[in-house]
This record gives sequence, C-alpha cells and structure tokens, in this order.
Amino acid sequence: MFKYLRLRPEPDRRDPLANIPITQLVGDASLPVTLKALNSLPENPKLRLYRTLLPLQVLAAFDINPRTWQNPEKQIQVRLQADEGSEKVKISAWFGQNPENEFFYLELADNPYGGIDLNFLIASDPHSPKFNTDFDEQGRETLFGTVHRNRAEEERAMHAGLAPGQTRAGLRCSQIIFTHVETFLTLLAHHALTLEPMTYASAWIFERRGFAYARGHQLMDIIHREFQPGGALHKALDGSSPFRQPEQWQTVRGRAWAIHDGILETIERKWDNLKMIKQVGRQAGVNTCPNTLF
Amino acid sequence: MSQRFQITRAAELESLQMFRDFIAECCAHHNIPNEIVFELKLAVDEACTNIIQHGYKGMDPGSIVLAFRIEPDRILVQITDFGHAFEPASAPAPDLNAALEDRELGGLGLFLIYQTMDNIDYQASQDGNTLTFTKYYRP
Repeated sequence: MFKYLRLRPEPDRRDPLANIPITQLVGDASLPVTLKALNSLPENPKLRLYRTLLPLQVLAAFDINPRTWQNPEKQIQVRLQADEGSEKVKISAWFGQNPENEFFYLELADNPYGGIDLNFLIASDPHSPKFNTDFDEQGRETLFGTVHRNRAEEERAMHAGLAPGQTRAGLRCSQIIFTHVETFLTLLAHHALTLEPMTYASAWIFERRGFAYARGHQLMDIIHREFQPGGALHKALDGSSPFRQPEQWQTVRGRAWAIHDGILETIERKWDNLKMIKQVGRQAGVNTCPNTLF
Repeated sequence: MSQRFQITRAAELESLQMFRDFIAECCAHHNIPNEIVFELKLAVDEACTNIIQHGYKGMDPGSIVLAFRIEPDRILVQITDFGHAFEPASAPAPDLNAALEDRELGGLGLFLIYQTMDNIDYQASQDGNTLTFTKYYRP
C-alpha cells in the first residue's frame, strides 16, 4: 500500500489550455481544442467541423442530405447551436415539418478540466408511438422524470418496452453515434469523453459502448448483487407499485424502472453522482450486469 | 508476436483477487515463469490497493482497468484509474533500516514496484491516471 502519494486533489486538474484561442492552436495538432475555441471560428469552417458529429447513416434513414442538411423538399432538417462565446454545441435533427419532433439531439460541452462532456444524447424513432412521460398531468415538464412524474404514461411506456427517460423507442444507433463523436474528439485532439448516465439502462448501454466508471462502478456492482434472488432489491420488488413487480430483477429495463421509482432507498443509496468516461479508441470492457437481458 | 489482455473491475478490495486470477490465467497461457507471475501479482496488488485506498478516497469508487501485453521477452502492464492523481516523485522513500515498531504502516507499495518491475512510468491527466511498467523475463 502506498502512503502520502495522493497529493493532487481533483479540482487542480483544470487545464491551462481551457481558454486558449483558436489561432494559437493552428501550429500544433496535438493540443486539444475546446468547443469554446471552435465556436469562435467563422460560421462556415465551424459548420464543416461540426457536420462530422451527425452520422451519415442516421441522416440517410430520414432522407436528409448530410452536406446541406435539407430533405428532398429542400427544407432544413438540422439545427446547429454553437454560438461564439459558448462552451457548448447542440445539434438537433427532426423529421417532417415540426422542429419539435426531434429524432436526434446531441449536446457536448467543455468541462472545467479541459475535457469534453456529453450532456445529452437522444436518438429516437419518430415513427414509433410517443409517450408523454416528458410532461406530468398538470402539464409541467418532468425533466426525464427527475422533478415530476407522469406515472400513467410511464407505466404505458414501460409496458411498451421503453426505458425510463424515453418518450419513444430508440433508433438503436448509439454505436454509430459514438464512432462519430470519437472521430470528432480525435479531430480536436481530445482523449476522452465523460458523461453522467441518467438511468441504469443508459449506464448499461454506455458500458457496451466502451465506457468505464470514474464514479459509481461499485454502486453498479452492488445493484446487480442486490437484485439477485435473496438480495435486498430483489425482495423490494414486492408488487407495491407497477414499477416494482417481482419479475423485473431479470432485465436491465425492469431494474431501471424500479430504480427510477426509488427502490435504491431500500439499500440507502440513490441513483446519483455516477460518472462514466470513454477513452478514445479504447473499450473498457465493463459489464456490471452479467447474464442479464436488456 | 504479442497478445493483449484486459480486465476492468470496480476499485474495491474484492477486485484484487480477480486481478490476481486474471494475471495467473494470462501468464499460464504463455508459460511465464512462476517467480515472474508472483512479482507481477505483487506489483499489481500494491498499485491497485493504492488506487482503492487513496485514489478514489472520498468518491463513489470507479473503475480500475488492468491491461497486459505479453511479448516474447517482456510483459507490459498498464493500470488506469479515474480517481485523484498522485505524485510518485514526491513520495518519501521508506526507511528500511528503521525498527519495525518505528515504521509507519504502508509506504512500501511504490518501493516494491520499483524493486521488482522495469521501466516504470506514471501519467496523470483529466482522461485518467495510468501507471505503466514492464517486466523482462527469459522464457
């Protein structure tokens, strides 16, 4: 066991390059470029770079031209938000006339340590039934069920095979999306992408996409163990709510709904403060739910 | 011809046995001498114990990624974590001449790794902390 060695607390990792202007980076391709620096570029070069974030296959599935972002009727179907001075980029794509009908939404942001966070990723099938889990019965936004809940809609969504936080079935293209995001990170000379998984189900997906845990690996192991027969979470699937049915321990989705319903209180834990990290080009190979179906 | 192996587990003491078993299994396929396997297990054990006890201190423990590359005359080991960084150069050298009752607990981990492994390197960044070492051997 080492002693006295852990001397540098995490906050000191703030990267001195975080505010470096884009002009200083032209000469050295190995220096990581922040989104803020990228956002300082003129519109056209910025557009050329950010275009790489949208998977061609996804655009092709909706007849969207990857170069012009228009559909065959020449209507714009993609919106890029990457304002000068901002540390974020948001890209959304929609199907049909209504920009609110997004099937793709990606938000990346600079973090205080000189890295890049994935804040949001939504890739949903616009042709699948919509569940109003995003608004409660009073019409308030649920923010993915974190501040309010629409239990009736959640129950319908659960029975339709959705995971917590989803309003429609997924596009099943996260592998392609992450390949594009990693390519984009490489272009910017970044080595990793970090995120906070919103649900147990999304953590499971990110594990399969090569992410490891900066925080919460032990919690995931505990959850898996306690959902096994005889475990505290297995016992808490007592049928007391539609989201706590006995058979739910067998699937990642079933467990995710029970966790969304607050079952972790049974073991005095919360779904909170998990952080995952994907090192570019590296698969961590984490599997905290072995022999469990999605 | 080299072969790469990797295992990722939570940073908790229960994982140490899995890392030891993993090393033994990888080495068994390549007829690595027993004394080399023992030293590798010792070095990995010490490094991972440090990560568990200090690296993720005050945090909900994250992952430890243990990667091996076995080549005909050497084994390269890479241990990655995402906890607090450490500064090997600033670690005080253990006083091996002090009487046992005067020594503090711990403090031998890095010393043991330096004694048993070759080409030790440590890199800390916002993308993770990576300890790399090599062990040369005669097949």
